[in-house]
Amino acid sequence: MSATALSLARPADLAEASRALADGGRALAGGTDLVPLLRDGLVRAESLVDVRAALPRGIEGERIGAGTTLAELEGSDDVPDALREACRLAASPQLRMMGTIGGNLLQATRCWYWRLAFPCRLHGGDVCHAREGEHREHAILGNDFCASAHPSDPAAALLALDATVETTKRRLPLGDLYRLPDESDHEVTMLEPDELVVALEVERAEGSVYLKAMDRQRFSFPLVGVAAVHRNAETRIALSGVAPIPWALASAEDLEGATPLPGTAYKLEIARALVRRALEAVA
Amino acid sequence: MLHAAVLRSPYASARVASLDLGPALAAPGVRGAIGPDDLEDLTREPGYPGAPVAAVAADTPGRARRAVEAIAVEWRAAEPLLDPDDAVRRGELLCEPERYQRGDVERALAEADVVVEAEYRTATVLHNALETHQSVCVWEDDKLTVYTSTQWIWGVRDDVATRLGIPGDRVRVVCRYMGGGFGAKTEPGDYTFMAIELARRTGRPVRCALSRREENLATGNRHATIQRLRAGARSDGTVVALDGEFTMAVGWDGFASSTAGPMKLLYGCENVRTAEYGAKLNTGPNAAFRAPGFVEGTFGLECLLDELAARLELDPLELRRRNHADRDLVDDRPFSAKNLLECYRRAEPHWARRESLRAGSEGPWKRGVGLASQIWYGGGGPPSYAWVRVGSDGRVQVVTGGQDIGTGTNTVLAQIAAEELALPLDRVRVAVGDSERGPYAAISAGSSTTPSMGPAVRTAAADAAQQILEIAAQRCEVEERALSLEDGRVVSADGRSWPIEEIMNLLGAAQILGRGSRGPNPTGMRVMTFGIQVAEVAVDVETGEVRVERIAAIHDVGRVVNPLGASSQVEGGIIQGLGHTLSEQRLLDPESGAVLTQTLDAYKLPTVADVPEIVTELIDIPDPHLTSLGAKGLGEPPIIPTAAAIANAIRDATGADVRSLPITREEMLRALKEARERDRALAGSTG
Repeated sequence: MSATALSLARPADLAEASRALADGGRALAGGTDLVPLLRDGLVRAESLVDVRAALPRGIEGERIGAGTTLAELEGSDDVPDALREACRLAASPQLRMMGTIGGNLLQATRCWYWRLAFPCRLHGGDVCHAREGEHREHAILGNDFCASAHPSDPAAALLALDATVETTKRRLPLGDLYRLPDESDHEVTMLEPDELVVALEVERAEGSVYLKAMDRQRFSFPLVGVAAVHRNAETRIALSGVAPIPWALASAEDLEGATPLPGTAYKLEIARALVRRALEAVA
Repeated sequence: MLHAAVLRSPYASARVASLDLGPALAAPGVRGAIGPDDLEDLTREPGYPGAPVAAVAADTPGRARRAVEAIAVEWRAAEPLLDPDDAVRRGELLCEPERYQRGDVERALAEADVVVEAEYRTATVLHNALETHQSVCVWEDDKLTVYTSTQWIWGVRDDVATRLGIPGDRVRVVCRYMGGGFGAKTEPGDYTFMAIELARRTGRPVRCALSRREENLATGNRHATIQRLRAGARSDGTVVALDGEFTMAVGWDGFASSTAGPMKLLYGCENVRTAEYGAKLNTGPNAAFRAPGFVEGTFGLECLLDELAARLELDPLELRRRNHADRDLVDDRPFSAKNLLECYRRAEPHWARRESLRAGSEGPWKRGVGLASQIWYGGGGPPSYAWVRVGSDGRVQVVTGGQDIGTGTNTVLAQIAAEELALPLDRVRVAVGDSERGPYAAISAGSSTTPSMGPAVRTAAADAAQQILEIAAQRCEVEERALSLEDGRVVSADGRSWPIEEIMNLLGAAQILGRGSRGPNPTGMRVMTFGIQVAEVAVDVETGEVRVERIAAIHDVGRVVNPLGASSQVEGGIIQGLGHTLSEQRLLDPESGAVLTQTLDAYKLPTVADVPEIVTELIDIPDPHLTSLGAKGLGEPPIIPTAAAIANAIRDATGADVRSLPITREEMLRALKEARERDRALAGSTG
């Protein structure tokens, strides 16, 4: 429960926004993740930077402005099926009206231990409470240091689509935006504190699909999400909800290297089925 | 008005080594602070995460919360007890084990042609009413007003007066509207007593409104159960023995719900034995939750019945028909009315969809149909009182100190008065929800509001009608027995008629006041509600996804007063039951006992996208022995059979025995794997 007053900057362009971020401000777009994190004291900030006026919004050819909402992507014919479907199956209509694609890629983990501020490894502690504790929603891959599962549906779709991320500082493949947290660095993205995601470049695909398993029909983070994209005789697969970051598979056989916890073995079974179905769908 | 915030234990089991309210009292905007020495609801030895330890009242909610954070407190945490079986073994029970026996179960099991045995589990689920628990308490001299979200304004009044040691007429309780209770709002609650004490100390009104997280830690739950059940039957389908051992994970406080109830009451089985253990654990206290015990017990019993039907190679509906209970065998008395066989008959067309539905299975999606029967109370009882006031304008006000908890009580009471007075519904207004502005009325719990309050209103309206006729007879010089009320008029047998308002207008400013009370329930009879639900599901056997596609609900609740409101109740019960069946569970950290699902992203209530087609059929035959109304309650019956009907449909679709709620992906995939292994072993032994 944060006590202090917050200042709010409303930069009109990216240069101004970058300066405000360099001064220690925290970027705010739709606020669907940041506001609860501030409320719960999981993110501390003295100033917020409303980047909505500075960020491009909308779809132009293969370029998607980072300020585009999930609802806009969900309703667009100009984005590949996998991305559209990933947006449609994410969150609730209200959240999709507010949440931006840029913010969605950068959202914090839903791990309940992290959200309840247990002194876990991501919070600087020396134990992953989920590994020993209740972890039915947690990771089956890359889960040695931290067993949290990345919650973004669109991130898996964009990873399979081999999207390029344009930031205020550089261009990089979406896969390079993410990193597994470790002892020396608890962050799951490579983004610098004053760096903003500005846009995404998403090439067309011949076929693409996003399949999602969740605890109810809507408004639930993925237990397992699978995106498959077929382009130029090549098929790319990426998963959500199975690792601390969006996870690309070189092939379906890669799943056999999974390291599920006792309570997440079922996710591997679901992942196998959904990967097979996704590959069939784009073949 | 001041706002209260509560310091709660972060530990499941702890001792407060030291507590200093000083920093909180010194914080900006703080007007008062109380701790364990000031109020019995605050504790130095919290036994569950979220147990209240201290409370602060401040000018704003934010200042109150910050002041709570400033309280200096030293905790000594202890290892929590979380496993109910472990608690029972150690004798950590909240109450004496509840044992029941009729006939000779062991002998009947030994002589049975078929015996089935299984263990069922249900999870702890949370009420999550839209409106959280809250009260605003105001002292004016020595008089206290409590504005609160409650299912029972008179119960709150009396509990508060008793605790404070003041006469009941110094406490006024107001609840005009409220955002749901589901059983968890039947008492004042610690939050009300905190607000009362802080209001007394500060001399200002104090509001204590809990957050969603507090709601999910400390205001009650449906406790988890472990049910170890056996059933024996003769090859003709006669169930000869039912045996159940029930362990309930009650929590730090509360009560062991009567999970054995359906086993004792639902079937005409001569030999029944049950034992119920209420485990005391370092988890939040339970509270009544929409048919407590019977929801859980029906899941176990009705799944067991289907497993029995499969062994007997008997149609599940026929098995239930053959074991119909003609009498209440617990107290050996007749039911006041029972139309369960008619419910079964009307279930047939829904059940008959089974073959074509199963044939509709395609690819990994398997379809099936399941059913489950239901028994529950719902007869209500005395006392309840109502006044019906008819003004000189011919308009009517129903006044009673009851409450409408969102179930449509106001409409039902208006309908009853309008019918009795032969007036259009828009001439009747209902005033409830204020203990100072109406006579005593019963609790809105146990599906009792309509059967308890309705007859009192009907009697009051009849009394008013009688008085109108007396006046008309006098003023119009007609014999009273020649008069009746029809379509808003006083009608004479000689053909003349007068609008009611014309008769009333003769009185000037005078009013007619009809008084009514709820009479007794029939003696020597058991009043119960009955029903059956038929569920249709599709299961993706590769991913464990369960989709409930249709539920037909046929219930016998006596006379139906408001058909639209009644079908809404059925839909609400089924949707809530669907959540308990498929997605809702309070999850704990197994080491610390911390509640991991405090918010509504983690605790998964069903969404509108999860709601199946719901077909409601109500038998609508008034109970001839129950009051002048013949109506029973409907709040709880529809949630009772939903889980078992869905689980039985899943078995029908896939052959997998799901025995644990909620039926998450992992439970579904576990059951499918078990079924595959069983089939393989069977094929191996016969091949």
